[in-house]
Amino acid sequence: MYRQGDVLVHPIDPAEVPAGLIPAGRDARGRLVLARGEATGHAHVVNGSGVTLWALPDQTEPSFLLIEGYGRLGHEEHGPIPLPAGAYRVVRQREYLPGAWRPVAD
Amino acid sequence: MTTETPSDHVDPGLRTPHSPEAAGPPDDRSAAALARTADTWLARGLATDPADRATAEAAVRQAYAGAGLATPETIIWLGSPYAGALAAALLTDTTSGAAGPGGFGAAGPGGPSPATSPPGGDPDKSPTGRALAEVTAAIRAQGHEPHRVVTGRSVRARLRTAPWAEARADAVTRLGPAGWAAHWAAGGQRTWHLLNERLVTPLRTRLTDELTREMPAPLVGRARTALLDVVFGQHDAAWLSAFDNDPRVAGLAGVADAAGWWWPYERVVIMTERPVRVERDNLGRLHHGDGPALVYPDGFGLHAWRGMPIPADVAAELPRLTVERIRAERNAEVRRVMLEHFGYDRYLRESKARAIHRDAYGVLWRIELPQDEPLVMVEVVNATPEPDGTSRTYWLRVPPQTRTARAGVAWTFGLTEQEYAPLVQT
Repeated sequence: MYRQGDVLVHPIDPAEVPAGLIPAGRDARGRLVLARGEATGHAHVVNGSGVTLWALPDQTEPSFLLIEGYGRLGHEEHGPIPLPAGAYRVVRQREYLPGAWRPVAD
Repeated sequence: MTTETPSDHVDPGLRTPHSPEAAGPPDDRSAAALARTADTWLARGLATDPADRATAEAAVRQAYAGAGLATPETIIWLGSPYAGALAAALLTDTTSGAAGPGGFGAAGPGGPSPATSPPGGDPDKSPTGRALAEVTAAIRAQGHEPHRVVTGRSVRARLRTAPWAEARADAVTRLGPAGWAAHWAAGGQRTWHLLNERLVTPLRTRLTDELTREMPAPLVGRARTALLDVVFGQHDAAWLSAFDNDPRVAGLAGVADAAGWWWPYERVVIMTERPVRVERDNLGRLHHGDGPALVYPDGFGLHAWRGMPIPADVAAELPRLTVERIRAERNAEVRRVMLEHFGYDRYLRESKARAIHRDAYGVLWRIELPQDEPLVMVEVVNATPEPDGTSRTYWLRVPPQTRTARAGVAWTFGLTEQEYAPLVQT
């Protein structure tokens, strides 16, 4: 598994990728964005060959990353991470609240 | 450099999670174009310029004409959605169409009756009484006597709900269910999430509280109705981004690009200004530690910490907190806000917290809180150094039963201690 700041990219068996996902689009600059910062404008972006990003239909953030060639995870404030081919779950860091939890705003 | 990766070229060895139907999902180029449109709409939704009143009023007339409605006779401007909702409550009356005996304070010809006075004595000295007097004065300054204004019924359903439903049904037919889902994901979902869920919902909650807590009885019901009859103006950007250039919503879109919340009635339109300030955190939640996160030009504001609205008196206390004050706070949510504002690191230091575990993943800290579950935090050092060579340290709260630093960090990613083992960390 690979961690870049508040994002964890966790390898999974391709059979674990659920059906019914929708493409998690590209941002206005054509980038595949795993997570973005509204206040800073910084983003965890994946580049490479044969890379697709998918979301569960009712969620804003992408949850699954498929790489058939090679991938490279980049961010303005963190070092780049090369990603080998495979299927991944994308997990955003969270913090505990009594009785609940919420995403981390780094 | 961005590599083109058409979504239909996924390795057959990986299960393709999507089977396109009808027109199918947007390709990469159109997905980026939809995202650019969504960004433009998001900027409109977050705009803090003064309303462009002439443009907004022209767009209102366009919306009325498009819905087959007569042009409204009167347009009244207020400084915030709070003032707008108060004006709507003052001017509407389900029995007579105007603020009759149920009116309040300076609005009614006879002044307040004892039965309609808010708690706390003289209504004009209460915050609600003052706000009502200001709204009444603003309406008078625009040449209207509040008790003589006849608004007619709300036309929100014809003006907003119906065109939206038509545009949506049309898009679903054109794109197919899967195509629509992908179109919405690429061009609307994020704007909706950021504007509707993170901004409008807390604002509505706050307005509901403010407008029903101290309002004299006859106005409470009308204030509630006003919050259902509102059109969100710039905050309609939440859904308009997915319907860019649809002529059926052009009037609504014109108002969204020029003004804040508004109330359309058969004969009268109440319009409001945009905020002068919107402060958000990295996840887009309303968040500000030094003053309100959302501020309107008439002074109405909403204090919020990481998306949680906080009362103004608590907000005023935040800069002067002490460990003792935080410990004495009985409301758990307020205490949480206080803790975060004070800073976990400072609280740890000043309350002489115990480090209960250290490993290669960080340090686990624990502090007992009276009449509350213990505060357990993992202290982590950022893997990538800052430009000056130092490494940023941060604290995350984890469940109280956490026993090791590694288990704490693992929990923040939804994993067990054994599962969490990053190969590379930056």
